[in-house]
Amino acid sequence: MEPSGMLAIGAGLAVGLAGIGTGIGQKDAAAAAIGAITEDKGMLGKSLMFVALPETIVIFGLVIAFLILFVM
Amino acid sequence: MFGHKGKGNYAYVVARVRAKKASLMGDEVYQKMLMMSLPEISRFISESGYQKEMAELAGRIGGIDLVEHATYMNMARVFSDILRSTTGELRDMVSAYLTKWDLWNLKVILRGKAYGADKESIKEDLVPAGRLNEVMLDKLLSLETDKEVIEEFGRMEHMKVPPEVVNAFTAEGRLGSVEDYFDRLFYTRLLSQLDPSSGPKRLFQDFIRREIDTINLETILILKMEGIFGDDVMKYIIPGGKQIDKKLATQLANAETISAAANDLSQLDFYEDIKETLTENGSLKNFVAAMKKYHIGLTKKFSSLYPLSVIPVLDFMIRKNIEVDNIRIIARGIESGIDRETIKELLVI
Repeated sequence: MEPSGMLAIGAGLAVGLAGIGTGIGQKDAAAAAIGAITEDKGMLGKSLMFVALPETIVIFGLVIAFLILFVM
Repeated sequence: MFGHKGKGNYAYVVARVRAKKASLMGDEVYQKMLMMSLPEISRFISESGYQKEMAELAGRIGGIDLVEHATYMNMARVFSDILRSTTGELRDMVSAYLTKWDLWNLKVILRGKAYGADKESIKEDLVPAGRLNEVMLDKLLSLETDKEVIEEFGRMEHMKVPPEVVNAFTAEGRLGSVEDYFDRLFYTRLLSQLDPSSGPKRLFQDFIRREIDTINLETILILKMEGIFGDDVMKYIIPGGKQIDKKLATQLANAETISAAANDLSQLDFYEDIKETLTENGSLKNFVAAMKKYHIGLTKKFSSLYPLSVIPVLDFMIRKNIEVDNIRIIARGIESGIDRETIKELLVI
């Protein structure tokens, strides 16, 4: 396989695996957030922050993908 | 009893019960309530979580009956609401634990009928939080004889009630034999149906076995204070305890004094928490309160150790029950003119 092809697969894996990890993390966080909001509407702001927190992992994956594609 | 597939929605349910737990009354609220009159207590609880039930019942009943009925109705609704929000094996465990309230309701119906209470006043003390809904409880209430009630209850709960238990009850008129039978059956059936192959179920089993220890120890010491020993005590012991096995239970049942029993208990986890109350002239009330506090503390500890498990849900249910009991104790105590210090001693804080 061409080296550029390998790099593309690597970049894809970096974003894809980070996305899967985020999904797993967000599953429980979002379920808990909905539970908390059901009981107390005032929890909406805080809950959203915790639900969004695992998404930062995707950004790391995206950065790695960019590094693979454009720096290496 | 345990048939649902999947692990269950722990995160969602635990977040909900934790939010509910945060709104439970604290020590300072009970202190404040102790200073109130009954109408003030009614108004106060109408503004703090019991408003829907108080408003619903205020047109029909008043005074202490209103407080008692509204608090039970609220508790039943909260527990049913939690059960409805659960899925998978979590639902199985919560549902199995809530069967306790079916037994409570059976006892209330039998006692009510035995004392000649009318249908409506028996209904006020029912907590339809278990498997039996209001329609089923109404059916039990409308049955003529106690024997029919027990047999119908057995059919509804898929429990086989041995004829000797029913006959003993109908011949002697002693409610105790039926109540003890169902209490034992509840725990033995729960333990036998629990498959401890999964972590959450093992944790639930552990919790139930510790609860059995608490109940057994209370039974042994209560009977000992009444001068009852040996086999007469052992027939009330629920098998399956975690720390108090059959051998230790027999040893405790045969101990002639409270100090001898305390000596046998000294190696167990909860000894430190209850040792102050284990004295020859100690009060039973203090011992029961100490055991209750130990159980609450243990549940709290386990709910922190295992945040995504059934324990936080059980922890909330126990605390909600204590809150309702405390409100009822304060309201009933003030209504009866009992000294506030005495009422305070009866509260579990």
